[in-house]
Amino acid sequence: MPRSTRRIFLKVAGAGCLAAAFSGGFAFKTLAATQDPNAQYEYTGWENLHRNEWTWDKKTRGAHLINCTGACPHFVYAKDGVVLREEPSKDLPSFDGIPEYNPRGCNKGACAADYMYGAHRVKYPLIRTGERGEGKWRRASWDEALEMIADKVVDTIRDHSADCISVFTPVPAVAPISFSAGHRFAHFIGAHTHTFFDWYGDAPTGTAQTCGIQGEGCETADWFNARMIITWGSNPLTTRIPDAHYLTEAAMNGTRLVSISPEYNATSIKVDQWIHPRPGTDAALGLGMAHVIIKKGLYDANNLKEQTDMPFLVRTDNGLFLRETDMVDGGSDAMFYAWDSKTRKPVRMKGSWGEQPKKKPPVQPPFFGRNTLTFPKGYLDLGDLDPALEGTFKVKLKDGTRVNVRPVFANYKEQIMKDYSPGQVSAITGVNAAAITRLATDYATIKPSMIITGAGINHWYYSDVNMRVFHFLSALTANDGRNGGGVNHYIGQWKPVPLPGVGALSFPRGGQKHRFCQTTIWSYYHSEVYDAMENEGIDTAAFLKESLDTGQMPLYPRDGRDPKVFFCYRGNFLNQAKGQKYMLRNLWPKLEMIVTANFRMDTMALYSDIVLPSAHWYEKTDLNMSHEHTYLNMTEPAVEPLWESKTDWEIFRLISAKVAEAAVRKGYARYYDEQFKWARDLSRLLDDYTDNGKLETDVAAVEFFLRKAPHTKGITLDMLREKGAQRFKLNWTSPMKENIPYTPFQHFTVSKKPWPTLTGRQQFFIDHPTFFAMGVELPVYKAPVDADKYPLRFNTPHSRYAIHSTWKDNVLMLRLHRGGPLIELSAVEAAARGLKDNDWAEVWNDHGRIIARVKIRAGEQAGRVTMNHTPELYQDLMEGGSQSVIPIRLSPTALVGNYGHLRFKPNYYGPGGTNRDVRVEVKRYLGAAPA
Amino acid sequence: MGKQVAMVMDLNKCIGCQACTAACKSLWTDDEGQEYMLWNNVETRPGPGYPRDWEQDGGGFADGQLQYGELPERSAHGGEIPLNHEQAFSSGTEIRLQQKEPMGYGANQDEDTSSGTYPNNYHFYLPRLCNHCTKPACLEACPVRAIYKREQDGIVLVDQDKCQGIRMCNRACPYDKVYFNYVIKKSQKCIFCFPRVEQGVAPACARQCPGRLRFVGMLEDEDGPIHKLVYQWKVALPLHPEYGTDPNVFYVPPILPSSFDEQGRFSEDPRVPMDYLRYLFGPEVDAALITMHEEIERKKAGKASELMDLLIAREWKSLFNIPDVRVA
Repeated sequence: MPRSTRRIFLKVAGAGCLAAAFSGGFAFKTLAATQDPNAQYEYTGWENLHRNEWTWDKKTRGAHLINCTGACPHFVYAKDGVVLREEPSKDLPSFDGIPEYNPRGCNKGACAADYMYGAHRVKYPLIRTGERGEGKWRRASWDEALEMIADKVVDTIRDHSADCISVFTPVPAVAPISFSAGHRFAHFIGAHTHTFFDWYGDAPTGTAQTCGIQGEGCETADWFNARMIITWGSNPLTTRIPDAHYLTEAAMNGTRLVSISPEYNATSIKVDQWIHPRPGTDAALGLGMAHVIIKKGLYDANNLKEQTDMPFLVRTDNGLFLRETDMVDGGSDAMFYAWDSKTRKPVRMKGSWGEQPKKKPPVQPPFFGRNTLTFPKGYLDLGDLDPALEGTFKVKLKDGTRVNVRPVFANYKEQIMKDYSPGQVSAITGVNAAAITRLATDYATIKPSMIITGAGINHWYYSDVNMRVFHFLSALTANDGRNGGGVNHYIGQWKPVPLPGVGALSFPRGGQKHRFCQTTIWSYYHSEVYDAMENEGIDTAAFLKESLDTGQMPLYPRDGRDPKVFFCYRGNFLNQAKGQKYMLRNLWPKLEMIVTANFRMDTMALYSDIVLPSAHWYEKTDLNMSHEHTYLNMTEPAVEPLWESKTDWEIFRLISAKVAEAAVRKGYARYYDEQFKWARDLSRLLDDYTDNGKLETDVAAVEFFLRKAPHTKGITLDMLREKGAQRFKLNWTSPMKENIPYTPFQHFTVSKKPWPTLTGRQQFFIDHPTFFAMGVELPVYKAPVDADKYPLRFNTPHSRYAIHSTWKDNVLMLRLHRGGPLIELSAVEAAARGLKDNDWAEVWNDHGRIIARVKIRAGEQAGRVTMNHTPELYQDLMEGGSQSVIPIRLSPTALVGNYGHLRFKPNYYGPGGTNRDVRVEVKRYLGAAPA
Repeated sequence: MGKQVAMVMDLNKCIGCQACTAACKSLWTDDEGQEYMLWNNVETRPGPGYPRDWEQDGGGFADGQLQYGELPERSAHGGEIPLNHEQAFSSGTEIRLQQKEPMGYGANQDEDTSSGTYPNNYHFYLPRLCNHCTKPACLEACPVRAIYKREQDGIVLVDQDKCQGIRMCNRACPYDKVYFNYVIKKSQKCIFCFPRVEQGVAPACARQCPGRLRFVGMLEDEDGPIHKLVYQWKVALPLHPEYGTDPNVFYVPPILPSSFDEQGRFSEDPRVPMDYLRYLFGPEVDAALITMHEEIERKKAGKASELMDLLIAREWKSLFNIPDVRVA
């Protein structure tokens, strides 16, 4: 038991030195009891027992380096070398008139020290003696384990190729130094590393399609500036615990709150109105709102003309944009036209992809389609131009033919008016038509109005369409770039604001000399996943082949080889993997060595060959940040790494040293990397890793990191330690303004620089063949995928008691719900299957099976089953985990990589998770079950 | 009459996250015999709560007479769940991490189960701790005078030196907030973090509350938020005032979203039946909710509201009017 263990630890460590810190400090009147509560009581001094419990001899900065989006600065309290507890540091600065970020923490953060002590902890290097997953190990020395790893690495490079080695570690924002360790190692040996934001289903591909940006959102203090907030497919009260207060406080400040969610969840409790569409019909609901807003004339036409592709002309003959290539010889295929209502002529629009800024940008940030920030301010300003939004016009092409053209808006409006009236949308979504009209009217007339969104709309096959519709609503109402407005997407702690620091530490020779695989494709391909999409008439293989053959998306290892060696650390790759059954069956046997470094025995570790003990968050120095606030914070050792654990930076330093030794010993140090024209020398690996001794330690790496990005200019480790979290100096798409919360997109909406898209505008029309093939060249509603022929939708939201799989096995968190994984059903569906609360039930489809207990919820919509995502595979289910019934489904639109801003960059664009588009059936489990 | 420290919790800000529960547990109850105890807990209401059906156990005062209720069953608390980590992780004798014993009832078994019928179902979160009552039934009931109420702050404590484990306090407390340590055979309960309060630091449950809903201060301090919320605005009410113990923990009652009529249109009918709120908070709840609605409407209309600004608590430290002398 972690708690008792910690206590025992302390008792042993601190025997004889429990000095009473506060003894004698207080005068107590002697009081006596019974009958009169205020009568005198004979006090014995026992209260010092508790005063002693609240003492410590060391207080350090701490953070929880985990993919939760909180980035909550904490203090960690230790006594006699044992960490006792943690508490939010409560020293984040505040904005005038807006509630503070303090105190910032949650239930999990309040017991994070549990993972330092107790049975979950990996204490020594372990080498597997049984089958993978069986839990049979022998303790090894670091030297032995490292040597085995190093030999395998060198042999693999020699006998296969360096890119048969795969390194997975996610999310630089939560721990950039740890993240960089494995990437730096991979960079110098030529291994491939993994994307994660897309693979996790967090990347809003619809934002990349519309805005040319990986994703963005305001810091959560800005929620308080909204006058209306729609939480749409997002349940911040459960999944954004440190930020949820901004919603309740905004409500008290007069902000209108609406929750859109099929189930009555923790957030729905706090709102003015809860709207509960059928799962997966969000795009229809959004287009119903657009219908009302357009019909009532509540949209901002000027915003559409300046900031979006709505006035851009589309040919009626071929359905494509009218391009400069159509109009003039030698014209660009990335320059476009609008119809000027004043001159009644087509006018070529400024700022599109085909136009380069006069001042060449020094860097191309990977989160942008391209860097448009060196265009002059005001570049999108229309001046005297008045682009038409409606009408049909005739233009003369360069060959003299005349074709009809229409603005994008005219086409889109026609479709919205035809298909998405409140009555039609009511039939699709189940939401009352009057409620749709009310929602749309409020959204368009209350300003600023904000959409907060997350996993609930992002895990669908057509999740990109959902996001495009949200962006359209925000564009109609000109809410982007306004404090309190916009479409704010929160999933994953994906945004490392000072990205140049990550790049410098992880990819010293540059990202162009680094092998990034696209993890969803990698997993689908190597796990040989069956996706059943032929039931929807979609041939995934054909789309994938086209994408890979033409180099639109990458696949590693190259030339169809199998991956051979897999390193995973700071991530529970297998447990979180969609297509898990296929992965275990087909990919795992291909892997000749699986190495995991972790401080706890997670599923990935259990199914590995070698497990290395790594330091807990309170045992190392690293940084921590989030897009939910704009402050960089840190963690530092409260105690040295326990048992034989080591920091990630140290682990990869040691592996580098051993690989260099093994390469020399085996006479295979030098090899030529054809792909990058790079003469590699493995004998120098340790020198490369440490930059000739300059980056030996975690602290040295932190300091290097801080120096490398303008976002962290002037911030030092000492400053973070002594003064607390420091605000970023620079951000991605808006300036940082003193005393004002960050809200994105002001470089485009206020400074009027071109958006980093093909058209240089927020782009809603994508005239790419794949988009036409899928029927989504404009964002229109597509019904959820019914490829699995089963009656219930499978819904996998995040839990209040865990961050993904972490804390799932925490004893305190477990007892605060029902002690183990559950499936949740409406009373209707339970009754139809003869299921009672707490019964064991079987959930299955063609991909796999789960056996878990049932919880019946009155607030759950009929027609689906909900399971909080990713309990550990070894956990207290009788079979399976939430990923057991989930295949991988590659969305063809996300495989596009040859269209302006739509191209592969790690974590910017690529297929993600479609785990809500899964159907299952549930029945009572009749086999033997524990009581 | 001594001074009285008190707490107000705004249920409109409670997000049910249990950070308070974890903060309390990490700080105070990780000794042997305390595993099952949650001095602070958060329960979904309506629901049986923690311990299960505690409202049925009796206790408190009736017509000024102390009532001895039933002892809550040990199983009504649930407990820590022992897991077979060693078997699953290192010995290879068991593939799955499983509870060694069936959990039975858990401290939060009915979380979010909700009452009523979709889509007009309803529930909310209710955090609970010892009420440090002005008329503590536990104190009255103790035959060996082991329970006392401190003069300097009104905190009610069980003297661990004197407690004989007789458990009359367990029977008398109508809130079932005194726990029995079955290992050391003594009664134990929330100490309102008195070592912290003595140093001007708010209790862990309040100071670590990310929902920012717990106001802590001296009840008699007319400039403090407690006095304003309880006596001036009258929006903060004790839980089950009819139990007769005069609690010093108060709640701002919850406002839930619109309900729906049969056509799926928004309806004016309240989502939570008023009778249920009256059952919890007494007859004053009607007036408290009217005040809350009026003040929120003022804010919606762009007008000022002192009450709402007080509850928003822009500055974290404004939640506390004990002298918050340091960042600990």
